[in-house]
Amino acid sequence: MKQRFISSVQIILQLALTTAGLTGQSYPGKPKIVRCRSLEKETFSCWWKPGSDGGLPTNYTLFYSKDSEEKIYECPDYQASGPNSCYFDKNHTNPWTTYIITVMATNEIGSNSSDPQYVDVTSIVQPDAPVNLSLETKTSASITYLWAKWSPPPLAAVSSNSHVYHYELRLKPEEKEEWETISVGGQTHYKVTGLQAGVKYIVQVRCMLDLGEWSEWSSERNIQIPNGESPPEKPTIIKCRSPEKETFTCWWKPGSDGGHPINHTLLYSKEGEEKVYECPDYKTAGPNSCYFDKKHTSFWTIYNITVRATNEMGSNVSDPHYVDVTYIVQPDPPVNITLELKKSVNRKPYLVLTWSPPPLADVRSGWLTLEYELRLKPEEGEEWETIFVGQQTQCKMFSLNPGKRYIVQIHCKPDHHGSWSEWSPEMYIHIPTDFRVKDMVVWIIVGILSSLICLIMSWTMILKGYRMMAFILPPVPGPKIKGIDKHLLETGKSEELLSALGCHGFPPTSDCEELLIEYLEVEDSEDQQLMPSHDTPSKNTKMIPKETDSDSGRGSCDSPSLLSEKCRESRALPSTLQTQDVRAVQENKGAKRSWETQCIASEQKTLLFSNENTKSSTWPAVQLPPNNQLPVFAYHSTVEAHKIILSTTNVNISPVLVGNEEKHQSQYPITETVQHDNMEKQREMENSKTEQITVQVKQNRHNDKSPFLNPKLMDYVEVHKVRQDEEPTVLLKHKDNNGKTEKYTVPGTSKEYTKVSTVVDHNILVLMPDSRIQHTQVSQEPAMETSQNLQQGQAEKNMSYCLTAPSDCKRETSGSEYMDPSSFMPSFK
Amino acid sequence: CHTSGMLTPNGKEYAQKIPREELTHLILKLLQAWKEPLSHFNQHIEHHQELPDDSLSKAKQISNMVHELKTGVEKVTEKMQSMGIISNSLNGMASSEGTSLSINNEANMMSDSDFIHCFRRDSNKVQSYLKILKCRIVPENSC
Repeated sequence: MKQRFISSVQIILQLALTTAGLTGQSYPGKPKIVRCRSLEKETFSCWWKPGSDGGLPTNYTLFYSKDSEEKIYECPDYQASGPNSCYFDKNHTNPWTTYIITVMATNEIGSNSSDPQYVDVTSIVQPDAPVNLSLETKTSASITYLWAKWSPPPLAAVSSNSHVYHYELRLKPEEKEEWETISVGGQTHYKVTGLQAGVKYIVQVRCMLDLGEWSEWSSERNIQIPNGESPPEKPTIIKCRSPEKETFTCWWKPGSDGGHPINHTLLYSKEGEEKVYECPDYKTAGPNSCYFDKKHTSFWTIYNITVRATNEMGSNVSDPHYVDVTYIVQPDPPVNITLELKKSVNRKPYLVLTWSPPPLADVRSGWLTLEYELRLKPEEGEEWETIFVGQQTQCKMFSLNPGKRYIVQIHCKPDHHGSWSEWSPEMYIHIPTDFRVKDMVVWIIVGILSSLICLIMSWTMILKGYRMMAFILPPVPGPKIKGIDKHLLETGKSEELLSALGCHGFPPTSDCEELLIEYLEVEDSEDQQLMPSHDTPSKNTKMIPKETDSDSGRGSCDSPSLLSEKCRESRALPSTLQTQDVRAVQENKGAKRSWETQCIASEQKTLLFSNENTKSSTWPAVQLPPNNQLPVFAYHSTVEAHKIILSTTNVNISPVLVGNEEKHQSQYPITETVQHDNMEKQREMENSKTEQITVQVKQNRHNDKSPFLNPKLMDYVEVHKVRQDEEPTVLLKHKDNNGKTEKYTVPGTSKEYTKVSTVVDHNILVLMPDSRIQHTQVSQEPAMETSQNLQQGQAEKNMSYCLTAPSDCKRETSGSEYMDPSSFMPSFK
Repeated sequence: CHTSGMLTPNGKEYAQKIPREELTHLILKLLQAWKEPLSHFNQHIEHHQELPDDSLSKAKQISNMVHELKTGVEKVTEKMQSMGIISNSLNGMASSEGTSLSINNEANMMSDSDFIHCFRRDSNKVQSYLKILKCRIVPENSC
């Protein structure tokens, strides 16, 4: 049993072996590496040839190693170069190493490997053959050249274009066997000379990189060298033109002559006719042209024109050209272009451009109607301005700039179908600058007038500049005291000033009083011009005391604040002074004068009105409002002519005060105008005349000169009526330090007690009403009025009293009546 | 063209040589010859969809202008005849010839492009003849 089994197995094995031997399957044969090649030294491929496959499907693997290394790699790409190939791309290619490549064939039974191949990339470089080989023959000067052009081989892999190929060209006549090889260098074209005419050549080209091998030869190209004799090429008709719609010309361009001289003939036929005519005139219009004269020109018919080129080898006919003469009219440019400069009505120049139609065109018969167009540009300009003119032969141009040069050109065309002519030759226009005498004269006159005006204005400015400035910006009025020399003030010598004022000491002595009394001359104000002499400084104190409670901002003299401790600057309160004066007068003997002013203001101004603009004080007339509470004392002193004691006293005092004054503002109590009826108190002053006394106090501008009065204010509160039977007078009694005021009602007409008749008891001032002056109300304005009235009454022109309006002050100050202290100065002493 | 049969001067000299009456007559004949074909053409192209609208209106305008031109020339002719500038010999011939049926049939058979081509030519003819006539009759500044 066992034996049978074993024998069966053996038999089976034998059978298998036999079968195997019968089919011939075995391990594969040895493959062989056929070729390795690099196209551009950056990649390369290897191909192998398989051996026998042993009957079974065989797998091929390629192994390689680099010479310096031990590691064995496998082929990276089996596909790129086709079957049985291996493609080494850039990353796997190293030009400076030697590759050892083997191919192994493997099948089910076994494997077999090829012999190793040693590959050095640089030595296997072989580019592809060039492509796009083109050949062309050119004949010039009876010599025929062959122009060969090709392109470098395309590179499958992406690589730079820095490969420089060397080319080689070879050619041979078709029938011959030997190649003529020409080295071309780096160009991709070449000109071959010395070729036999009439022979067909075969041309090939190959290339090579710097190192490596030559590529394969490109595919063959054939070229037939021209014989030098061939029929000419077809000529072409360029254009046909008629310059005047009566004749026309056609031009053509010949083709290549094929080596022999060509004869051209132009043949034409008309529309509707079969007959073919030949060109009547080849010469008139130049070479390669045909001129149709009038006889041969028909309109409104279509010509069929062809040109035939003939040479020894043959002939060639151009394409037919159809032309209707009506539509091919292109005239010559216009001629006789003239320019004329004319002046229009308003003296503006304009240009008239005239021209004539081209000489050949028959415009006169109406056969050909031309339309014109002109263009112009400034000489330096870039763009032309085109103006269509129409059928007229002239053009007026108005819009040209004088002094510039222009270029003008004209061209024309038939009014119907046709084309524009050439532009006429350039015409230059120069516009003269219009330099009219009239304009120049006008400008000269204007210049002279304006300079005159400037001169005049500057002259007036210089001369009257001050006045004008004063008019425009009125200066601040300063105090002006008659008898005081401004210069003295300016120089600042108070002593001289004081001496000028006539007072040295303060308080004034009783002598002064006497003198004052003596000098109390009151004149009729109406008759007199109370103009102070300007030589002697005089000072008038005029008090227009008035007290109102309203804060008019006029000045402290007007407000109760005068009497209050609050003093405002530049309040010259003559009242105070007056009061004091009165007192002084009253005292009469040089009694002490205690000038008290309640003024405590910083600056002082005493009796002097401040003419400064900022300090305005209204000096109302003597009149006071009934409700005025403060007794005011007002009196007026006349102008210098009146040597009123008061004023003199004032004058006297003032310097004294000036000397001593501590910058108190003096306030003048405002005397209340007492009504006539109620009270009369009379102070009798030794007056020579019972006239209104207006004491005007002019304030010095300077502080040091100012205050004449003591700060204390003298209040005259009590008013007593005195002497009713006689001339009613008002007696104001001074109330020391009594700021209280009493109300005085004034029944009946109110009179202003402006006259000081006497001073009694040293503290009573006797006032007299001034019959001439009637005051109805008391207010600031009325103060003005009163003052004015007073002025009028007294015929005093320039009473100076401070009003709200500085101008008034100024006006007043401008030399109104002032006492002239100097006149009685010595009397003081 | 359907007016090719008419004998018209083919150049300036011929146009200047023929008598004025003949020239006038010729103009009128031409204008008359186009009256009918134009209206037919207008009808014909109204059915064309692909033409832009202004072509249709232009065509109508042209036929109106031709008609007006003809009327004007007739008036001028009458005036000239009355003034004795031209004779009255060819008076009656203008209207009859132009309306012959054969011409009209021929015109209708033309293709559109031929029609336009012929019309262009004939209008140019008329224009040139009129200009020459004008300068012959009233030689003024512009002639």
